[in-house]
Amino acid sequence: MMRLSGRARSALIIGVQGIRARKTRTLLSMVSLFLGVLAVVVVQAGASIAERALLADLELTMGLDGTKVMNTGGSAPGASQIVEDTVAGRDDAVAMVGVSAIIGEPGVRPVNEGASPIDQDWGGGSMVCDASGNCTDPNEGKPKGQAVEVRLTALTGDVRRFRPYRQQSGEWLDFGSQPMLAPRLVLNKEAAKGFERYHVPAEMRVPGASANLTPRFIGVVDDGDYQPRAYVRMDELTTWLPSAQLSDPNSGTEMTVVMAGATPVEQVLTTKLKAIGVDSYVETINSRKDQKDQLKLMRLIFLSMAGLVLLIGVAGILNVGLATVGERVEEFALRRAVGTPRPLLAGIVLAETLLTGLFTAGAAIGCCAAALKVGVMLAGDSIPALQGVEFPWDAGVAGVIAGLIAGVLGGFVPAIRAAGIPIATVMRA
Amino acid sequence: MTALIELTGVTKVLKGQEEPRTILDGVDLRVEAGESVAIVGRSGSGKSTLLSVLGLFDRADSGTYALDGRDISRLPERHAARLRSSHFGFVFQRFFLLKHLTAAQNVAMALVNGQGWLPRRERRTRVMTALDQVGIAHLAKNRPAKMSGGEQQRVAIARALVRDPKVLLADEPTGALDLETGTIVIEALLEATTRGCALILVTHDRDHAARMGRTVDLNAGVLTERVPA
Repeated sequence: MMRLSGRARSALIIGVQGIRARKTRTLLSMVSLFLGVLAVVVVQAGASIAERALLADLELTMGLDGTKVMNTGGSAPGASQIVEDTVAGRDDAVAMVGVSAIIGEPGVRPVNEGASPIDQDWGGGSMVCDASGNCTDPNEGKPKGQAVEVRLTALTGDVRRFRPYRQQSGEWLDFGSQPMLAPRLVLNKEAAKGFERYHVPAEMRVPGASANLTPRFIGVVDDGDYQPRAYVRMDELTTWLPSAQLSDPNSGTEMTVVMAGATPVEQVLTTKLKAIGVDSYVETINSRKDQKDQLKLMRLIFLSMAGLVLLIGVAGILNVGLATVGERVEEFALRRAVGTPRPLLAGIVLAETLLTGLFTAGAAIGCCAAALKVGVMLAGDSIPALQGVEFPWDAGVAGVIAGLIAGVLGGFVPAIRAAGIPIATVMRA
Repeated sequence: MTALIELTGVTKVLKGQEEPRTILDGVDLRVEAGESVAIVGRSGSGKSTLLSVLGLFDRADSGTYALDGRDISRLPERHAARLRSSHFGFVFQRFFLLKHLTAAQNVAMALVNGQGWLPRRERRTRVMTALDQVGIAHLAKNRPAKMSGGEQQRVAIARALVRDPKVLLADEPTGALDLETGTIVIEALLEATTRGCALILVTHDRDHAARMGRTVDLNAGVLTERVPA
């Protein structure tokens, strides 16, 4: 256990005696300081909660920092085959091809046309266009029925190395086993919500497929996407869907290759695609760092404002401290007479203001944590961002530091003044 | 033999006025352990200034001050604070008790002063011993507001005695008390001399001065030994 020196213990004992003797003044100091410390705690708590919420899903949707993402501008019949062949069997690159799929009753319009989130209506379905640019709605004229439209992402390998999806239930796709005729699907949370609400027959329609498929749901992940999405092994999908369909931008497909920072795949793929007239561009993901920098700037701006409020509180402590020292001239002179050294006199005053700062920090942290808890209880159901939010410990630390800084700043001048009181004051009294 | 206190040619000049005023003019004083000395003189004669110099509150402009044979005339403040704690006890005309503390806590103030740390139990024992020495151990938990003037002054004496000082400096300790209570206080102070503590008492009261071992007169800064009648 850490043991305080004799002087520190003396300062603490006398400081506590001083606070107990002047409870009203201490309370007034706390009141003047409370808003400043509360502002610091609120800003820090808000920033931490926002950072956690933003950054938590950022890596799921954008990928880990340092990941390279290749997108193709335009398409050609052999593009998807080239991509598949190049990344096949590699763990430093994964191709992701997104197509539209409707799972449910045959011959009906899905409940969420255009793969909109289950509780939203985007007001239209996915369009399919031909080479001459004529677009049609494949579901036009069909009655609305029990079916859910999802974005179906076909993967050549385990993408979680680059996008760390959080497993919610079941299991992830097994790329080591033989492909199956009934494609195994892993749903995201939004898609799982749809299938939980609408218990639809399991038939999957994919535009361009040779037949309607019978999917098997094997798990649910959190991928940070608000659209219903399902993940499938590329080879299980291409059993039914020709590769040429996967690189047809007219049917709404999207092709992306995610890869490690240093891999020859980028060079090889760029060259191969260039050879068939497909341009590609590569972006290195830095979202987390960028987002952090932006949040840091925002936090600094708000903390500066909170600091100004804190300074007003410091002025309050300073004012009360100077008045108190003025009233305690005889006490300090007497303490010097009985052998108390000057630094300890300063320490006594500082101990009082530091304790006041700490008490205030405790009150501010308690209020903030309680308000957050009440807010989560009352509004947690209607505001998803509030669900599961807890008071961040770093906001508590910031509050304590703010209280201590305010205590030092507010107590410094009174402490110097107390230490300088001439000892002869007691003789002249 | 080395005296406990030995002032030689101590001079103190008050500056900052139109004309510097000599408060102490070549004072020589020798006090032995267990001795009691009364300093008498008119108001403004320099008695309190002499006590300030003796108690290391103030410093003489010239001359030497030896305590136990060691020259402490030019002691830095932090060493002076340590000596005030270990060698001196002070009693003032006003009691200077902190009203928010109990009698025991007021006495303990001299122990919680940053000059060495005593465990709580030992502090308590010493405080109760000091209060017992002045006959008010039963008032340990009382606050000053609930005590008479004489009792408050005895708490102040207990505070001065709690560190077993070698020198007790008292500046008109009976000035605010009636005759009877003043006598009790003087007896409490004299009691300390029986344990080897030197007592230097500044007083206007001839009767109290007469009870000391010897009396010195301070007149316009000049100290003279009063010859017993």
